Amino acid sequence: MSADAESRWPAVARDYVQAIADTKLLLGQRYGEWMLKGPNLEDDISGASNGQDEIGQVRQLFRLLEKQGVDRDWLETDREPAEYANAQPLDEEAEAWPTFMVQVALADRAAWLLLDAIQHEDFTGMVQKMGEDEYFHLEHHDARLETLAVDQPEAVEAALERYFPGILAFIGPATHGAGEDPLVEAGFTDRAVAEIRGAFREHYVDLFAGTDVTVPALTDDVPDPDEWDEKRRRSGDGHIDRSVADQLQGVTNREYVIE
Amino acid sequence: MKYHVFTRNRSGDDMIHAGTVQADSDRLARIYAHRTYDEEDWDFMGVVREEDLLEVDEEPISSRGVA
Repeated sequence: MSADAESRWPAVARDYVQAIADTKLLLGQRYGEWMLKGPNLEDDISGASNGQDEIGQVRQLFRLLEKQGVDRDWLETDREPAEYANAQPLDEEAEAWPTFMVQVALADRAAWLLLDAIQHEDFTGMVQKMGEDEYFHLEHHDARLETLAVDQPEAVEAALERYFPGILAFIGPATHGAGEDPLVEAGFTDRAVAEIRGAFREHYVDLFAGTDVTVPALTDDVPDPDEWDEKRRRSGDGHIDRSVADQLQGVTNREYVIE
Repeated sequence: MKYHVFTRNRSGDDMIHAGTVQADSDRLARIYAHRTYDEEDWDFMGVVREEDLLEVDEEPISSRGVA
C-alpha cells in the first residue's frame, strides 16, 4: 500500500517510528521470557500484562508503517536479525532479575518519551491510549527499582552502566538539539532529542536520590554522532540472535498460520 | 509485606475483599493490585497493609472495666 504525497511522512520519521515499534516488539519478547521467572507471582503477572500491552501497541504502529509503504510481510515475518531497529540493550536476554528490570525500565521509558514527542495527526488519540498502558509499566519499573536500589545497589548501578549508552543511542545523539533535530524541523515531533536525553537521565537521578546508586553522566559523544546509525538508532552493527528473530516471526509454527 | 485489596463496583456500594498481594512497598502494592485484580471496571480499588488491619476481638466490653 502506498501513501499519497500529502500523508507521506518524511523518511526520517518512518525510521523513527520503526525503531520505536521494533523496541516495543523486543520488549514484548523480553517480558515474555521473564513471565514465569520473576521473584514472585505479582511480578510475573505485571510483566505479562506489560508484554501483552507492548504487542498490542506494535500492531498499531505496524499498521501505520504499512500505510506509509512499509511491506507488511517484511515487518512481521521476512526480516534478517540485523534489520530490526530495536534499542540495543534489548539485543540480549538479561541474566538476572535486577539486570532485567533495569533493561526493560530504560527501554520502555525511552520508547515512551520518543512516542510521546510525536505530534503528527496520525498518532492523535493513539498515543494517549498507549500512555494509559505505559503509566502502569513505568510505575511498576520505578517502584521495583526503588526497592532494588536499596537491596542491591551494586547490581542496579552495574546494569545502568551497561545499558545507558545503548539507550542514549536509541534516544539519539546530543547534536540533535533545538533547531538541529530533523524530526522537529519536519514538524513530526515537538521535543528535540537533546531535551529528551536530559529529561530521561533526570528522571533516574530523582528516582535514585538518597540511595547508593549513581546514574551515568550524559556525555555528548555517547553515541558518537559520526558513527550513529539514524535508521537503527544505535552505533555499530549488533543485532538480536537469529533464534530470537525466528521466535518473533513464528518460524517454527508457520504451518499453523490462519490465512 | 502482605496487602489486602478492596474494590467496589459503584460509588456508594460496600467494598469487597478482592484478594491479596505481596509487595515491598505501598507503590508496588498499588501496581500489583491493579495488574492482578483489574478484571472489572472498578469504581474504586484500594490496598491496606495487613499489619494496619485492626482486629475486632470478642472480649465483652464490660470485662475491660468500662462502666
